[in-house]
Amino acid sequence: MSYLGESREMSNHMDLVTLCVETACESRQSVDKWRRQRRSLERLPSPLADALLRRLLSRRLLYPSLLEVFKYCAEEINVRGENSVDAEWMAYLGAFRHLRYLNVGGCHRITSSALWAITGMTSLQELNLSRCSKINDAAIKHILSLTNLEKLHVAETGVTAEGVKLLASLRALSVLDLGGLPVNDVALNSLQVLKKLQSLDLWGSQISNEGSAILNMFPKLSHLNLAMTSVTRLPNLLTLECLNMSNCTIESVLKDGKAPLAKLVLSGTAFLNEADALLHLNTSFLSLLDVSNSCLHNFFFLSKMKVIEHLNLSSCMIGDDSIEIVALIGVNLKSLNLNGTRVSSAGVGILAGHVSSLEILSLSETPIDDAAISYIGTMPSLKAVDLSHTVIKGFMHQEETQLDAPLSLTALQDLKQLERLNLEHTLISDGALCPLSSFQQLRHISLKSTSLADISLDFLSTIPKLTSLSICDAILTNYGLETFKPPATLKSIDLSGCWLLTRDAILSFCRIHPQIEVRHELSTEVPDDRNRPNRPTSSRLTSRSVQGTKKKEITAVSPSFIDQRVKYTRDELLALQSMSLVPASDDERDPGSV
Amino acid sequence: MKKEDTVKLISAEGFEFVVDKEAAMVSQTIHNMLTSPGSFSERQHGEVTFPEISTTILEKICQYFYWHLQFASGKETEFPIEPELTLELMMAANYLHT
Repeated sequence: MSYLGESREMSNHMDLVTLCVETACESRQSVDKWRRQRRSLERLPSPLADALLRRLLSRRLLYPSLLEVFKYCAEEINVRGENSVDAEWMAYLGAFRHLRYLNVGGCHRITSSALWAITGMTSLQELNLSRCSKINDAAIKHILSLTNLEKLHVAETGVTAEGVKLLASLRALSVLDLGGLPVNDVALNSLQVLKKLQSLDLWGSQISNEGSAILNMFPKLSHLNLAMTSVTRLPNLLTLECLNMSNCTIESVLKDGKAPLAKLVLSGTAFLNEADALLHLNTSFLSLLDVSNSCLHNFFFLSKMKVIEHLNLSSCMIGDDSIEIVALIGVNLKSLNLNGTRVSSAGVGILAGHVSSLEILSLSETPIDDAAISYIGTMPSLKAVDLSHTVIKGFMHQEETQLDAPLSLTALQDLKQLERLNLEHTLISDGALCPLSSFQQLRHISLKSTSLADISLDFLSTIPKLTSLSICDAILTNYGLETFKPPATLKSIDLSGCWLLTRDAILSFCRIHPQIEVRHELSTEVPDDRNRPNRPTSSRLTSRSVQGTKKKEITAVSPSFIDQRVKYTRDELLALQSMSLVPASDDERDPGSV
Repeated sequence: MKKEDTVKLISAEGFEFVVDKEAAMVSQTIHNMLTSPGSFSERQHGEVTFPEISTTILEKICQYFYWHLQFASGKETEFPIEPELTLELMMAANYLHT
C-alpha cells in the first residue's frame, strides 16, 4: 500500500497506475466496464480508490449511486465546491466503512438534516463543512456523534455561539475552524476543555480581550486566527507559531517574547503603540511577516528578524529611507513585496547585493524607473519579478528614447532562473523588448500596453521555454498574429483588448495551434481543463503532472504577490490569509502527496 | 539470449513469462528482489512467483515493461488498456511499483 507520495513516482514518466486511472475514467462506458467488479473493488487499496474517485470527480463522471461501489475501499472524499452534492450523496457516503476524511466545503445543497446520514461514523477524523450556508446549529447534534473527529471546519456556516459551545464534547479535536461565526467569549470559554487543540480559527468573531485571555488554556495551541476581531491584547501563548491579527488594532501581543512565532500576518492592522508593539516578539523563528496595508511608520522592528524569508510590506509607508533595514535582514529573504510603496530605484539599489536568496520581488506601483532594472539584474536567485504599473521604459536613460539608447531589460539577462516577468502598464515599447528573446528560463510574461505592436511578437517568439504569454490592449494586427511563430512550449496566450484582431484571425490561430489556449473577447471557446483527458491534473502523479503541479504552485503563489489587490477584494484576501495559517487545511492538501 | 539476462515471472495459475531482466526491472519491486543482497531465492533462480496476479494481468504487465522501455527511449506511443482490466491491473501495478 505504499503508493502515492513516494519519490519513485517522480522518476517514472508514465507509471502504470496513472495510466489505469486515466483509462478507467475515460468515459461513462469505461466506468461501466469495471463498476460491477465487486470483488476487485473490495480489495482495492484505499490510495488507489481515492485516486480513482478524484479522477472520476474531475472528469464529471461521479454520481451518487456510483459512490456505492467504493464503500469498502475509499478513505477520503473531497467534493469541495461541487454544486450537485446533496443529501443523496451524503446517504451513500454514510455507508462508507473506512471514511476518514470528508470535505463537502462550499457544497450549498448540504443541509443540517443531510448530515444525519453520517452520524456515528467513528472512522471519520476530518470533516469540512465550511461555507455550507444551510448548515446551522441543528447540524451540531449530528456532528457530536462523530466522536473521533480531530479536525472540524464549520467556517461561514449558520452555526451560532450556542452551537459552538456544544462542540466542547469533541475532545479529540486538534483543528477547529470557526471563521466568520458569531463566537463570543462565553462560547470560547466552554471550549477550553479541548486540550488537544492546536489550531483555532476565530476570524470575524465577537471575541473580546476578555475572551482572548482564555486562549492560555489551550496548552498546544500553535495556530491562531483572530483577524477582524476587536481583540487588542493577546496573553503570552507559549506554543504559538502562526498568528493572524489582520484588520485588528493591536495594543500588545505576546509581550514576554516566548512564543516561537514562524508566521505573523498583520495586514491592515493598526497599532496603538507602534514603537513598542512588535519589538518584544520572539523573532528567532519568524519566517513570514505580512504587514501590508498597515499604518506602520517606523520599521526598526524589522532589524530583529534575522531569519525572515517572506516579507510583505505592500502599501506600507516604507520608502528608501527605511529600506536599509530590509537590506540588513535580506540574506534569507525569498520573497519581498514592496507593491504600492514609496521605494524608488535608489531603494532597490540599496537592496542589491544583500538579497542573494530572493526569488520573488514585487515592485508594482512604485516610483521606480529603469535604473532599478540594472540593480534587479544583480539579484542572482530571482524567479519572479513584478514591475507593473511603473514608469519604466526599457531604455537606460529616461530622457532619450532613441533606438540606440541602451536597453534596460538587458540587465535581466544575467538572471539565470528568471521564470516570470510582469511588465503590464509600463511605458515599455516594442524595441525595448528585444533583450527578452534570449531569456532561457522565462516561462511567463505579462504585457499590457497600448503602444505594443506586431514587432513585439517577433522578440517573444524565440523565448525557448515560454509557456504563457499575456499581451493585452496591444495594437496587434491580423497579419502579425498570422505570422507569429509561437515557441513550441507555449500553452496559453492572452490577447484581451487587442481590438484590431478579428474573429477569423483568432479562430485560424486556434486551428493552427490547437495546443494553445487563446483568450480574447472574440474567442468563444471556454477551455475546460478538467475535462481534457490528456492534460495532467493537479491530482495526479506522472512526472509531467508533477512539473505541472509545481508550476501551479508558482502560479498560486505569484498572483498573491503580484496582483493581489487587483484580483481579490479585501475580504477574500483575508479569507485567503486565514487559510494559509491553518496547517494542512483542505486548501493546502495536495491530493498527490497523500 | 543468455539465461542470466532473463527472468521468469510466474502467474497465479502457473503460467511462465520469460522476459529480459532489463524490462522486468521497470518494476521497483522486482528490481529490489533481484538486486538486494542476501539470499532471495528469486535472485538465485531468476524466478518470481506472483500468487495474486492472474495470467491475463501478468501478460499485460510484461507488455507494459517493454512499452515503458520504448517510451523512456523517446518512442511516444499509447499503451492500450482494456477498461475491464483497469482495477486488477492497477492493483498489480501498485504492488509491483511500476
